[in-house]
Amino acid sequence: MFRRSLSVCCRQIGKTFLSTLPEDVGLPSNLKLPPNLISTAKRERPSPVGSGLPVLRKCEIEIPPQLSAKQAWLESLKDDTLGLVELHPDVFAVPPRLDILHEVIVWQRNFKRISHAKVKTRAEVRGGGRKPWQQKGSGRARHGSIRSPLWRGGGIAHGPRGPTSYYYMLPMKVRVLGLKVALSTKLAQDYLHIIDSLEIPTPEPQYLLDLAKQRQWGESVLIVDVHEDMPENILKATANLKTINLMPVIGLNVYSMLKHETVLLTVDAVNFLEKKLLWHDHRYSPLYPFRLPYNDFP
Amino acid sequence: MSISKSGAKSLDLLKKLPRISLVNLGPNPGAKKNEKRRGRGQHGGNRSGRGHKGERQRGNRPRLGFEGGQTPFYLVIPKYGYNEGHSRRPQYQPLTLNKLQYLIDLGRVDPSQPIDLTQLVNSRGVTIQPLKRDYGVHLVAEGAENFSAKVNIEVQMASELAIAAIEKNGGVITTSFYDPRSLCILCKPVPFFTRGQPIPKRMLPGEDLLPYYTDAKNRGYMAELAKIQEARMELARTYGYILPDITKEELFEMLSMRKGPRQIFFGLSPGWVVNMAEKKILKPTDERLISYYNSS
Repeated sequence: MFRRSLSVCCRQIGKTFLSTLPEDVGLPSNLKLPPNLISTAKRERPSPVGSGLPVLRKCEIEIPPQLSAKQAWLESLKDDTLGLVELHPDVFAVPPRLDILHEVIVWQRNFKRISHAKVKTRAEVRGGGRKPWQQKGSGRARHGSIRSPLWRGGGIAHGPRGPTSYYYMLPMKVRVLGLKVALSTKLAQDYLHIIDSLEIPTPEPQYLLDLAKQRQWGESVLIVDVHEDMPENILKATANLKTINLMPVIGLNVYSMLKHETVLLTVDAVNFLEKKLLWHDHRYSPLYPFRLPYNDFP
Repeated sequence: MSISKSGAKSLDLLKKLPRISLVNLGPNPGAKKNEKRRGRGQHGGNRSGRGHKGERQRGNRPRLGFEGGQTPFYLVIPKYGYNEGHSRRPQYQPLTLNKLQYLIDLGRVDPSQPIDLTQLVNSRGVTIQPLKRDYGVHLVAEGAENFSAKVNIEVQMASELAIAAIEKNGGVITTSFYDPRSLCILCKPVPFFTRGQPIPKRMLPGEDLLPYYTDAKNRGYMAELAKIQEARMELARTYGYILPDITKEELFEMLSMRKGPRQIFFGLSPGWVVNMAEKKILKPTDERLISYYNSS
């Protein structure tokens, strides 16, 4: 789906979807907006590159010389924009591998799945040990048991047998790349925001809902911080909210990132993510599991 | 340059496209091929890929290798002695001098410390599988012309030219034997230490390998030092290089470090227990244990 759109967009770079000119005939039918739609487009924010605001956070890990750091706005849940942050391009500007996103999401859905469906075979169904009638002479079809799969009430020949596990592991580097691609695509489509801390003035859920509406974050927001011990106000505010969710950064996963419309990362979370995700680019192959200590590397 | 540019272009294109979410994703075209489903449809049904009548369709074919009663191929070919126990023979993973020089140049192996099989495995220069009858590493002389590193290296087997190349550059080479359990421990020390078992004694080589390791020509660890000195001078004469005098080097102490015949790690004796979590070493106090672990 995306590939067709990409090829269309290659021909029409610079045109937005709200164009009602007859040229959007080239778009696929599911992307054409009806002409009487009340405009709900997000107002475009100015790009952070040209503005004169100070860069408040530089990447700790070295950026390769041929790449340049991505810049993003540093916002606050209380006040206005505070400044800019620099993000590592090898985490926040990787090529958008949508097929890897798909693979990781399918894995996340299926690896935990254990299907408990089980049906009885002809051996397990109660009864059916005796031959119902003699082989020859009765005029009826020959049968050996009343619980064969041919019979009503008989066992199932090839049914689901017992708890089946759908467990499999994608390679570690594929899962890491999935996280990087998800972060990059969220940033590219303007759905990723960096905030300095999670402090809010009131524990009212309405405050967050109004904030989300005012800043046009969309229907659902995922707020990510490093540790689970977050300020009380935000914990109380999000406790009964279904669309705004808190998460420690170790729980960050591609499914949650794509399910929520906007993702808010604190600066500490960005540090943690960059360190952890970039380590996999230059590590050695494991001799034994990484949870056992290694001396110098990885 | 082109890689980052095309990545940047596609990220720019994403700005114009709808939000990537759980509903718009799919695999790349051609990535997923539908599986063959027997017994379904016009082409998969009817005989379901089993053929027509006979053992094939009825699933009663004889065992693999059966040739209808004719003596099968795997029985026609006679056994012969030179194949006996081929799967139980010790195997040695080759390590070229080229690769060793490469590892030293890239800084993955430190030549200022004795080079052991642990160091080679940690630098991912060789992959040893002790459970597949690997008995260690074999130093091979490919790249002897370009080898120029002064190292104290301990391998399990070494070719003559490789020994000459190492000694010509002022290094020291020893060949020593590790039985499979000690080799496993040597290659992956950290998982062994987490088990909490005492470091075992290294076993001595069996009668097949004993002559190899007592020979000074192979720089065996059980050979006499005087004979090794003579062998060094003889090798220098054979290959025509001047044998450098290592006693006058700064690193002489490091170059002369050698493991005892029952020792697996430098600095750790058999019988000690290493506690990595608390960074402690526990040594045996019972006389019987001490005499067992110290006896050779």
